[in-house]
Amino acid sequence: MAALPRRIIKETQRLMQEPVPGISAVPSETNARYFHVIVTGPEDSPFEGGLFKLELFLPEDYPMSAPKVRFITKIYHPNIDRLGRICLDILKDKWSPALQIRTVLLSIQALLSAPNPDDPLANDVAELWKVNESEAIRNAKEWTRRYAMDN
Amino acid sequence: MSAESDMEYSDNDGDDYDYYGEQDDCDMEAVDRTKSDPEYFLYTCLRVEEVEKLLNESIELLSNSLQITPSLAKVTLHAYEWNAQEIINKYKENANEVLVYSRVKSRSPVLQASTSRSSCAVCANTPPMHKYSALACGHYFCNDCWAMHFEVQIMQGVSNTITCMAQDCELRAPEDFVLSHVTKPMLRERYQQFMFKDHVKSHPELRFCPGPNCQDCPKCQICIEKNGGCNHMQCGACRHDFCWVCLGDWKSHGSEYYECSRYKEDPNMSSDSQHAQAREALKKYLHYYERWENHARSLKLEEQTLASLKSRINQKVMAGEGTWIDWQYLWDSAKLLKRCRYTLQYTYPYAYYMENGPRKELFEYQQAQLEAEIENLSWKVERAETTDRGDLENQMDIAEKRRTTLLKDFLEFHTTTASSSKV
Repeated sequence: MAALPRRIIKETQRLMQEPVPGISAVPSETNARYFHVIVTGPEDSPFEGGLFKLELFLPEDYPMSAPKVRFITKIYHPNIDRLGRICLDILKDKWSPALQIRTVLLSIQALLSAPNPDDPLANDVAELWKVNESEAIRNAKEWTRRYAMDN
Repeated sequence: MSAESDMEYSDNDGDDYDYYGEQDDCDMEAVDRTKSDPEYFLYTCLRVEEVEKLLNESIELLSNSLQITPSLAKVTLHAYEWNAQEIINKYKENANEVLVYSRVKSRSPVLQASTSRSSCAVCANTPPMHKYSALACGHYFCNDCWAMHFEVQIMQGVSNTITCMAQDCELRAPEDFVLSHVTKPMLRERYQQFMFKDHVKSHPELRFCPGPNCQDCPKCQICIEKNGGCNHMQCGACRHDFCWVCLGDWKSHGSEYYECSRYKEDPNMSSDSQHAQAREALKKYLHYYERWENHARSLKLEEQTLASLKSRINQKVMAGEGTWIDWQYLWDSAKLLKRCRYTLQYTYPYAYYMENGPRKELFEYQQAQLEAEIENLSWKVERAETTDRGDLENQMDIAEKRRTTLLKDFLEFHTTTASSSKV
C-alpha cells in the first residue's frame, strides 16, 4: 500500500492533539484512512444527549475527492436516510480540497442543529417535518433516546 | 428498414449536385412547416470538423477584437452562450463585469500574494515558492495539487467548469491554466473532448444528434438513425444498403452464406501468450454479446412495428377497406417476426457455449440461414402494405421453417444431453 500522504498524517495528528468539542475521530488500527467517529447531539436540538456513531473513509484521491461519511447509529433526520447516508452539499458538488475532516464533521454537527426538510433524503421524515414539526421532533427525540443513549 | 436521414445536408465542397432532389418525397408537405408545426425546425447536419471550425471562428473573432487569449475567449463565450457580439459590446462598456460574470475574476478584492508560504493548504507539503500557482483570486496551491485536482475533475467529466480549490471560491480555471498543469496525454485529450462537448451543449444553435443509436452511414457519412428492427439498413440519402451489425455491404449478406453471425477464431491462438488468449476470449464473448444485444434492441423495435401495424389495420377496417380478416396476415407476419427475432437472439448465447466441431459448424450455418431469412422478413414486414401478399406469406413460411428446423435439430439435442447429465 502506498505511503500515507502528509496531509492525512497532519490532519490525524491535529484531530488527536486539538479535538473539536463534541466530536471524536479516531483512525482504525488497521486502516489509517478509516475513522471511527462519535458526534454528540447539539444542545437545543432533538438530538441533545445522544452519542452518534459515524464512519468516515478517506478515498484514494482524498483530498481531491470528498471523504465518505455515514451514520452508523440510527437517526431520525430529514437529510439522513435509513442507511445512514447524509445529504450534505460539501460532501458532494460543493467539496473543496481545502476542506478537512474536522470541517466536514462540524458541518454534519451543524446539520443536526438545522435540519433542512426542503432538500430531503429521507422523504417520509422530511414530509412529517414539514406538515407536523412538533411530531417530527418528538420522533427524533424518541429515536435519540432509543438508539443513541447509554449503549 | 431504412435509415432515415430526414435532414438537410449541406456540403460545401463546391459541387452543385443535389443530394436530395426528393422534396416531393413521401410526407414532405408543400406548406411551410416552420409556421404550421411548432415542433419543426430547419436544421443543417454538421460534421465534427465543421463544428470545430464554427466554434473556432467565434473564439478567434473574440480574442482578436478584445486582445485576449483564446483560452479566456472560450471561458467568456461559454458563459455568454457564444454571443460574441454581446461580449464585445459589454466588454467595451465594462471589461471587469464581463470577467466577473465569466467567473475568471473575483468580485472581492484579490488576496495579496504573501511573500512566504508555510505550506500548501491541500497537501500540507512545503515545496519551494516557485512551485505554487493561483487563479486570479490569489488562492495559491502547489502545482502538484493543481495537477491532481484537474486529473480528478477531468476523470469525472468536468472541463469548462473546473473551479479553484479554495472553499467557496467559484472562480473557473481557464484552459491554458489547466493544460499548463496536466501533462498526461490521455488526460489532455479527454479534457479537450469534454471541452468540445461542453461547448456544443452551451451553444444555443448547436445540438448533438438526439438519437441514442445515431451512427454514420458507412458510405456517405450522413447521420442515420435505426428506426426499425431490421438489420438490413438502407441510407435515406445515398440509398446504400448495409448491415447494421458489421456495417459491411448488404450484398455479401443476402446470398448463400450469411457471414456476420459467425465468430472466426484466430487459428494461431493456441501458441500465443496467456495475455493474448485472454484478450481473444474477451473478443469472442463480445462478438456474441453484441449480436445478442443487437437482436434484443431489434426485438423492441419490432414490438413498435406490431403496435403501429395493429392501429393501421384498425384504421383500414374503420374506413371500410376490408375486414379484420382481410388484413390479419399483416398482423400474423409481424407476430411471427417477433417470435423469429426472439429465437435468433438466443441462438447467440447458445453458440457461445458450444464446443468447436462439426456440430457447431452446422448450428452456425443454420443460424446464418435463419438470420438472413429473418432480415428478409423484417424488410418485407416494414413495407408490408406495398409488398405483395403472396410474397410476404411465402417469406413467412420460409422463415418459420428455418426457425423450426434449427430448434428441432438443437433443442432436442440439448434436452437429451441435459436429461442424461442430470442423472
